[in-house]
Amino acid sequence: MLAADEDIANKIVEMAKRREWTVYQTLNEILEQALRVDGMGLFLADVVDEREMLEKAKKMGFTFTVESLLYDVVDMAYKKDKKRLSEKWLEVGRWYGKFFSSRSDDGVNAFAEAMNLLALGNSVFKIEKGKGNSVSVSCVSERFTPGFTEVYSLFMEGVFEALRMDLVNKENSDGIIRLRFQKPR
Amino acid sequence: MVTRSSKDTKLVVLPSRLVEQLREIAVRRGVSVSSFAAGALEQAVRVEEMEASLEETVDIFGIYEIVRGSGAVQIPRSRFSNLISELHRNNKDELMAAWEKAGRWYGEYLHARLGDGALGFLEKALRVSWNLDEVTIQNEGLIVNLRFTSFIMALELTELLVSYISGVMNALGYEAVEKSYLRGLATLSFREVPGAHDFTLA
Repeated sequence: MLAADEDIANKIVEMAKRREWTVYQTLNEILEQALRVDGMGLFLADVVDEREMLEKAKKMGFTFTVESLLYDVVDMAYKKDKKRLSEKWLEVGRWYGKFFSSRSDDGVNAFAEAMNLLALGNSVFKIEKGKGNSVSVSCVSERFTPGFTEVYSLFMEGVFEALRMDLVNKENSDGIIRLRFQKPR
Repeated sequence: MVTRSSKDTKLVVLPSRLVEQLREIAVRRGVSVSSFAAGALEQAVRVEEMEASLEETVDIFGIYEIVRGSGAVQIPRSRFSNLISELHRNNKDELMAAWEKAGRWYGEYLHARLGDGALGFLEKALRVSWNLDEVTIQNEGLIVNLRFTSFIMALELTELLVSYISGVMNALGYEAVEKSYLRGLATLSFREVPGAHDFTLA
């Protein structure tokens, strides 16, 4: 016998009813999975956190693709029609900016959360709120192609434009994006 | 079976084999068996609230670990689909070649990581990582039949995914014998190439 919090135990009973399983079967299944995760050298909470993030990403309209293909495709399109592609990424950024602003007070926190979901390959993303309503964003990856660096930067610029923040500094080079935004006084 | 023990707790019955395994883990982690089990139950409730199952969640975690290791990233779906459609008009051959090449790389990666288990893994991985509604892979002797369905995938991306899968299968030692597809729906057949993965030392 094992002692469990009454509230949780009741939820497990409900879960069993929904699945048309016995409570015993349900508990067995849950704990078997906990053992499986332990066998993988992980914590169940981390596995569930990960699933939650994936579900959030799906709801935000994100999908998986192969990193190298993404950069190839973007570079191909960038070489073909730089102006048109740039406008498109800016436009997508504006759309997401509006989406983020409806999800949190200033939209910046929702953007930061989304960028963590987006985490492209081994890129390092950092966002910092500074003095006087300023926000600094940096994203670095040695795999970003020149075309991808530019359009990814435009995506972020579009987000902040929709969040009504002005771009006050931009220092991009291949694989490096550094942007600073400021709320107008 | 659940029985009330005190005001805020209930006692649940577990098989002794499971309790023994839980005890080992609890000792290793420096927590009580009840606390470890309660933690697992809480996580199960969280997963249930996402309308998913714990088993599937653990399965998906395992798949993502491998998929991510192969260089998969998440991007806004709408932009990627539009980009593909635009490029497909004038750069179809270049795109198809890039997709097949990426597929070959992924196939080699799966083979190196999973060996003979690569084909079985591919069925789950394709469904999860390409957000497909259905994927079936049936192995009938030397022939492998693969079918995928997506209710939202555009024709261009379907065509590219077929190239990608052909690349994967090629790296796993199979050659395409039949490919037919419509928007979001593809039926492919591959034949095993004898000795494709046999290496001899000079």
